[in-house]
Order: sequence, then structure tokens, then C-alpha cells
Amino acid sequence: MIAALAVTPVVLITLLIGLRGVAAMRTTSDFLVASRRVSPLLNSAAVSGEYLSAASFLGVAGLVVKDGVGALWYPVGFTAGYIAMLALVAAPMRRSGALTVPDFAEARLASPPLRRLAAIAILVIGGLYLVPQFRTAGLVLSVVSGSQYWVGVVIAGVVVAVTLALGGMRAATYVQAFQFCLKLVLFIIPAIWLLLSVGPDIRGEAVRPVEFTHFRHDTSVTFRAAVTLDVTEPATVRTPAGGQIPVPVGEFHVPAGSEYIFPQGAPVPGVRGQTPPGGPGWERPLIDVQGEGYPLLGTWAVLLATMLGTMGLPHVLMRFHTSPDGRAARRTAALTVVLLSAFYLFPGIYGVLGRVLVPQLYLTGATDTAVVALPSQVDNGVWGDTFTALLTAGAFAAFLATSLGLLLVVSGAISHDLLAGGLRQLRVTVFLAAAVVVLLALPAARLDAGVLVTWGFTVAASTFSPLLVLGIWWSRLTAPGAIAGVAVGLLATAGAIAMTLFGPPVHGWPAILVAQPAPWSVPLAFGTMVVVSLFGRPPPWTTTAMLRLHLPEQDRDPGHSAFGLDRSSTVRRMVRRFVR
Amino acid sequence: MPHRRVAVTSPQTRLAHARRRSRGRWRVPVLDPADAERAQRIFRIQRRRAMVAVAWLFALVLLLPLVFALWPELDSLRLLGIPVSWLAVVLVPFPAMVFLAVWQLRRAEKPEDRA
Repeated sequence: MIAALAVTPVVLITLLIGLRGVAAMRTTSDFLVASRRVSPLLNSAAVSGEYLSAASFLGVAGLVVKDGVGALWYPVGFTAGYIAMLALVAAPMRRSGALTVPDFAEARLASPPLRRLAAIAILVIGGLYLVPQFRTAGLVLSVVSGSQYWVGVVIAGVVVAVTLALGGMRAATYVQAFQFCLKLVLFIIPAIWLLLSVGPDIRGEAVRPVEFTHFRHDTSVTFRAAVTLDVTEPATVRTPAGGQIPVPVGEFHVPAGSEYIFPQGAPVPGVRGQTPPGGPGWERPLIDVQGEGYPLLGTWAVLLATMLGTMGLPHVLMRFHTSPDGRAARRTAALTVVLLSAFYLFPGIYGVLGRVLVPQLYLTGATDTAVVALPSQVDNGVWGDTFTALLTAGAFAAFLATSLGLLLVVSGAISHDLLAGGLRQLRVTVFLAAAVVVLLALPAARLDAGVLVTWGFTVAASTFSPLLVLGIWWSRLTAPGAIAGVAVGLLATAGAIAMTLFGPPVHGWPAILVAQPAPWSVPLAFGTMVVVSLFGRPPPWTTTAMLRLHLPEQDRDPGHSAFGLDRSSTVRRMVRRFVR
Repeated sequence: MPHRRVAVTSPQTRLAHARRRSRGRWRVPVLDPADAERAQRIFRIQRRRAMVAVAWLFALVLLLPLVFALWPELDSLRLLGIPVSWLAVVLVPFPAMVFLAVWQLRRAEKPEDRA
């Protein structure tokens, strides 16, 4: 019931704004980049709205509960990426005049094979990024409403596909700008309410972490996926039906879908490969990847991946093409840093409170749901329900916004770059791509959202970021060099991901370099591009092709100003009043 | 419906939009010599400024974890009851990054205004 109350308005407003965008859409350019008439403030709100995904809204706080304060470095990397983008990519990329990253590759290097390779990289990044969004949508809805996991996944898929197919990027711009404001409000107000209403005792405990060893009160835990617990002290758990289940020392297999009530004072069982919340190292502000004991290397690896990956995320890059010129694109990047910094002051509050109030989530692996689980722990009455509903609405807005941009980019890559079709084909592709992602997300309930998203960043950092940086700043880059670099980066990261998922366990510092390959895969991709390019001979026009990207637009065509006066609409009139 | 919208494009335009796009419309990029010279000048300035900004960014983001790794005492030092290192991981990078973004934006726009 709470879930319905929370999610319905978000879905309805998203659809309404999406429908409003249909009126002005005639061409592929309208659909993909809103015909390039979006002002910096509106566009940066849309970029932030698109960027603040489930990984930011829920994932960071969940990682803090599970792994410790070090997880707060993820948002730093997410934001730092926009400074790299501002300095290196935004304006020249926009001036290239290309619609998508593969378009840029072709405009700069005139190589159709590179265009197709870039489109494939987009599919890989989009897949790694979209599946966890849909998965988390299903998971949160099932936690809040008790519905089935697949219901949430299907709802998310349908809403995203319909909005996109009808409205395209113009719809997405308004939807995402609206959703950024929604998310900001729905994240900050509950955080302040939580801080004020938990009382001084909990606040004191929150800043003095102790290991989660015994249940503080009777705690009901629902296992949505099967888990193996390591039990060191025997205990007895109850089922909701009133039965008693003895838990012997050793391994204890919990089947999926079971709900146990751990009595007050019972010892907390262990989970393979994880330290409980508040355990040794939890309070360190560094990321100990896989618990291998190299926190500094782990932190640097994650920061490199997120920082350079942001620069290469295809759906974010595409947003910069909706700016009217290079200068506006640069301003968009700068404003985005400001907006994101405001939002990212708050995930830590949910994280440290979640460690005190809902540490049992670590048993089920569903710490991603800590944010929505918190209000009911603080207040059982109307206020708790209200804030649960608000946070669920914000979380759902987060999935929707990110999925909109990603699905657009994936469909664009398929129908614009791989197949070269018109607007109608693009709309059909949107539905097909959404269906495929829903199918992939259905069995992915157990995979960790944070891990998948960071891999998406790593692939982007090892393919598009060298392509863009060298393409924009180095005139000697050749098409064979770019192809080799993108291919090597894609294969290296894909290999490392496959090794982590299916390979034998690795220990020590190599484990970190396999799980977070950015520290070696990014230099490898850059190096391959440079070396292969130096062996070749760039075509005579290459310097011109690069310099063209740095030439500021001179006479501004009034038709390309931020808001086309010739195409006024109610929404644009209203926004024009506020955005200058 | 007072604002009913009507498609005013010619049927030819609509046909062209519905058709498959032909690729390979790529043309050799050209710049006139004056523009090329201006672009070269701006490019040099922007490259230097971008490198400085990225260097500051890497220094900020990579050195702060090093500080935490070298001085674990920051975890037990408290300000208003909160460990200093927890505050530092949020309250140092974000304001610094906002400053860096605004600074670099100004620096990048200046040469374009002059040119």
C-alpha cells in the first residue's frame, strides 16, 4: 500500500511530462538530443537527475552499512568525474557536433569499424549499468510492499520504455530535471528528520561503531535469496508461524524466501567473506576491496574507475550534446559538480544510522534497502510510514531517471550506429532493449548493485575515456590506434569481470587488481592507443579535425539559443521564467 | 484543445525522416587559415589549463586517502563527537571540488572571450 502511494505519483508525473515532450518531436535529432536547445542549469539538473541512480540514492548508504565509512569515497569519485569532464571533454565534445560517442569517433577519425566497436562498448556499459537499476527497483518494491521481485522489475521496464518511446530526449530532459529536484528533496528532508528523531543515544552510538555481534531486540529477517551462514554459537530462531528452528554450529543453509525471527541477545551468525557492520576496519575511511587488506590500493582503484569512468559514460556524454554550444556544455559540467556535491553530503547520514538501526540487513546481502528500511525503525506511526513512502518514491525516481538515459543510449547505439535507422525504428528498439534488460534483471536478484555499476564505470574508463581524451587533445591519434585501444580496454575489463565472477579465487593485492581493474586497464588502453598510433601515419586532415573541436562558436544563430522561441510550449515557458 | 499541434512539414520531409539514414556522409574537415591559427592558439592555452586542473583534481582525490592511510589517529580524533576522518571524507572533497569546477570554468572561458 505504501509502495503504491509512493510510486504511483512518480510514475504518473513521469508519464505526463513524457507525453508533454511528444508534441515537439519530429526528427531523430529531436528524439536523441532535444534538438540541442537546453540551457546549462536545466541541463545540469537533468545530468544530475540522470546520474543519481539507485547506486547513489540507496547503494552508497548500503555500502556504508556493509563495508564501512570508506564507501563514502564512491560519491567523491562520482563527482570528481565531472571536473575531469569539464576540463577535458565537455566543450570540444559538444563542438564536434556529433550525436553520440560513436558519431564523435567517426567525426574525428572517419572510421566506420571504430563506430561499430564504440557502439558495442556502449551496449556493454549500458547492460552493466541498467541491470542493477532494474534489479534494485524490484528489490525495493518487494521490501516495501511485500510484492514479488519480478513485479517491480516489470513495472520499471514498462514505465521507462513507454516514456522514452513517446517522448525521447526532450521528454527525458524535463523528466530528469524534475526528478533531480524530487530526489534532492526526498533525500535531504528524511535525513534531517531521521537525525532529529533518533535521539541522542542512537546518535552517540552512530559515531562510536561497535561490532554487530548480538541482536539488540527480537529481529525479523527476510531472506529473499538463499544464503549460507557461518554459525559459531548455537541458537534457536523462530518462524513467523510460531515454529522453532535450532541453528547448529557450522554452516547453516537458508533457503530463498524464508523469514526468521532472531531473539533478543542471540549471537549474530557470520556471512562468508564479510566482516559484520562495525567490525574491525569498518570505521576506517578507506575502501578495503574484498577484505584483502590493501585499503589504500583499493580506494585508489575505485576512485580511478569512477573518476575516469564518468568521463566516458555514454548516457552522460550524450546529455552534453543537448547544450546549444560548447560553452554551455562546459557550464553544464560545472553546475553539475555543484548540484551533485549538495546531494552527496547526505548518504553518509543514512549509512551510519543504518549501521546502528538495521545491521541485520547484512545477513541477507540486501543492505541496499537500508535507506528505505530506516524510517520504520525510528517511528512506527504515521511519520515512519510517510517517510518510508517518500524515500521509496525518491528511490523509484532514481531508477527511472537513470534507466531513461541509459535505455536511450543503448537503443541509440543499436538503431543509430549499428543499424542506421530512422525515428520509428528507434522507438521499436527502445521496447526491445527494455524487454532484454528486464529478462536479464530477473535472475540477477543476488548480484550486488554497487559491484555491477562500478564495473560499468571501469569499462567506460578503459574504452571511451582514452578515446575521448586522446581524440580531443592529441592530433597524432589514428583510427587503428583508437580501435586497438578500445578493443584492448574492453577485453581487459571484460576478462577481469569474468575472472571475478567465474574464475578461481585470488588473494592479496592481485585480488584487488582483478576485482577493480581500472589501475592497470586504463593505462593499458591509453598506452595501446598511443603506441599503435605512433606506428601508423595519421591522415593529412587530422590536425584540422582536432583543432576544429577547440574553436569556439562565433556568431550564435538565434535559432540555436537555449530556448527556441519558435517552438514555445507551456513547460518551456514556465522553465524559461526560472532558468536564465 | 486550443493548442492542437499540426505537422507542417512537407510529406517529402516526413518521408526523409522515416527513411534509413545513409552513413558515410563524412567530409574532410576544413578550417580557413585565420581560424586554424586562432584554434591552434586556443588549443595550446586550453591544453595547459586543462592539465593543471586535472593535476589538482588527482592531487586532491588521491592524496586525501593517503593522508588517512598514513595518519590513522584521525579516526580517533573527534570534532563535536564525530571522528575527524569521517568529516574530512565528506566536508573536504566536495567544497574543494566545487571550487575547482568554478575556477576551471572561469579559466577555460577567458581565452575564448579574448580570441
